[in-house]
Amino acid sequence: MAEPLIRTQGLTKKFGPFTALNGIDLEVYKGEVLALLGDNGAGKSTLIKILSGVHQPTAGKIFVEGAEMKFASPRDASNAGIGTVYQDLAINPLMSVTRNFFMGRELYRGVAPFGLLDMTKMDEIAHAEMVKIGIDVSDPRQAVGTMSGGQRQTLAIARAIYFGAKVLILDEPTSALGQKQQMGVLKTMMRVRARGDIAIIFITHNEIHSQLVADRYTFLALGEVIGGGAKADLEHDEIRRLMAGGSDIGDLAKELQDIQAE
Amino acid sequence: MSDTTKNSAERKEADRLQSGGLLSVLKRRPEAGSFLVMLVAVIVISFASNGNAFNPLGLKNNFTVISQFGIIATGACLLMIAGDFDLSIGSMIGFAGMSMAMMLKWGLPFGLGAATPFTAFLLTLVMTLAIGWLIGTIVVRSKLSSFIVSLAFLFFLRGVTEVSFRLINQSTQISGLQDFKETSWFAAMFGGQALGWFYDTWFALGGNINRAGNQWVTGFDARFLWWVGLSLVAYIVLSRTQAGNWIFATGDNSESARANGVPVDKVRISLFMFTAFCATLFAACQVFDTNTADAAKGNLKELEAIAIAVVGGTLMTGGFGSVIGIVFGAITFGLVANAVFFIPSIDGSYYRVFVGVVLLTAVFLNESVRKRITGGL
Ligand SMILES: Nc1ncnc2c1ncn2[C@@H]1O[C@H](COP(=O)(O)OP(=O)(O)O)[C@@H](O)[C@H]1O
Ligand SMILES: [Mg+2]
Repeated sequence: MAEPLIRTQGLTKKFGPFTALNGIDLEVYKGEVLALLGDNGAGKSTLIKILSGVHQPTAGKIFVEGAEMKFASPRDASNAGIGTVYQDLAINPLMSVTRNFFMGRELYRGVAPFGLLDMTKMDEIAHAEMVKIGIDVSDPRQAVGTMSGGQRQTLAIARAIYFGAKVLILDEPTSALGQKQQMGVLKTMMRVRARGDIAIIFITHNEIHSQLVADRYTFLALGEVIGGGAKADLEHDEIRRLMAGGSDIGDLAKELQDIQAE
Repeated sequence: MSDTTKNSAERKEADRLQSGGLLSVLKRRPEAGSFLVMLVAVIVISFASNGNAFNPLGLKNNFTVISQFGIIATGACLLMIAGDFDLSIGSMIGFAGMSMAMMLKWGLPFGLGAATPFTAFLLTLVMTLAIGWLIGTIVVRSKLSSFIVSLAFLFFLRGVTEVSFRLINQSTQISGLQDFKETSWFAAMFGGQALGWFYDTWFALGGNINRAGNQWVTGFDARFLWWVGLSLVAYIVLSRTQAGNWIFATGDNSESARANGVPVDKVRISLFMFTAFCATLFAACQVFDTNTADAAKGNLKELEAIAIAVVGGTLMTGGFGSVIGIVFGAITFGLVANAVFFIPSIDGSYYRVFVGVVLLTAVFLNESVRKRITGGL
């Protein structure tokens, strides 16, 4: 395969004496969805915080399109084309869709920061970008607080892509949503994937969701990669076993039966 | 069968947001409630004062008080939208007034010679902006609540004002300064009159006549023009510029704003400097109008500014509010505060009763508006 869009080599992160990540190697390619799976506390959030510039790694390297990068801040990562949609969304509920979409990157005429906003153009772009990705907000001037959780995710994704994200990192984008909205977010992901020029790192707990959209898997447990591979190569049971942090599901089934028998 | 079931397949998430008519759009506006309150105040006071509140002199005097309220409430409002409070506004007024009056009476500090209205104002403004910067920087760096930091400055500045007065002036008052507005255009800009053409026209049309048959009132206070200008600039900045977007974003969800590249700390510090500027403007108008200063000037003004901001529809939690609402709120407060001069049977206590009732009502109203815009989230 071609050069990976983003690659990590031996990423390690220590919080004092605690090793949250221990030598993570990861590769993600254009046009694919990499599912990052692992139990609570496995280190998924820590890993993506390093990739998006929130934390600096204790050791290890990050390469974007082959070039080594050091991110001192989220701004750096975002300039390098890494767009992160956090669990808590980075959305301002009282502000309009448009104002959220362009927050910090407003279109204006005149001298910053007192330049006059070009609201008409921003409304148009925000609306068009949301439609492209599958949501027709009736009025881009409506407050984001009126939108459903799924629509908010979509807004955050559309915004990241419009402002040049080559790698889209989604931290449990479906976990706080209802069934139907979860499907909406998965559809959004597939539309982004279909563009072919963007890599998606999809962090999830949900095995079914990962099977619906992922091309490849990487499993984390206790801060290390314990397995991975293309979807086609992984058996269903193997996925389950790795998701449970490597312990055998067969054993678990037996243990459960034993309890019942008591 | 029924239409609803047939349509259900095509129903979209977006359809669920009721777009509604003009009324429902107006109900989402932050200034809706304050407009109604203002309307009631104007009508009641017109009748109760037999129209005297709006005769030429009444109008002028009302707008004097309204402008004073409006100037500081505009600062308080923008700051509150960004999620902060400034309880030092009142003490800052006292400090700025003391500083200007003392320089005019005793000369500039460090033996720089006699002060002109311009140098006294400029030097004072430099100091107040620096204090505003300091308050903002402490709030931003310490991550303490602005409520408590500015409360400290409420006491500190008032104390500094009194001590300075006593040490340099031997008295906590200055009166009988030269009438600078007669000799200095700069002083007249703050303490003089403005919009004389309004009263000239009124006189030309056959009104505005005193007992002797001459023109009665010749103009508004200059601060009226300052208030109008300040409101206009604040309105444009808040609702039409990038800076305005940052102010809203900072107050709504500052973490998100920061993650999206909004310079949250700079926004907050600038707004503390802006409230300091408003307080200085308030003081300059007062000093050059009355040629006096007093250590107690501006007492409780910070609380009135916050009350007007809330009645004007600004959310205490930040992220939402409007300058138009502040205009309505200032008019309401100014009229009611001044009503004692036009309605013989009431005194200042009635004003405070009114403020209490309106404030509480406004908080409930704002909360329901917030729920309405965010769909109850
Ligand atoms: N800032 C931090 N300081 C100390 N420990 C942390 C910090 N962030 C995360 N950790 C620890 O690192 C481990 C991995 O956390 P996290 O990356 O959030 O896991 P996941 O997202 O996979 O559930 C957890 O044990 C957590 O307590
Ligand atoms: Mg996590």
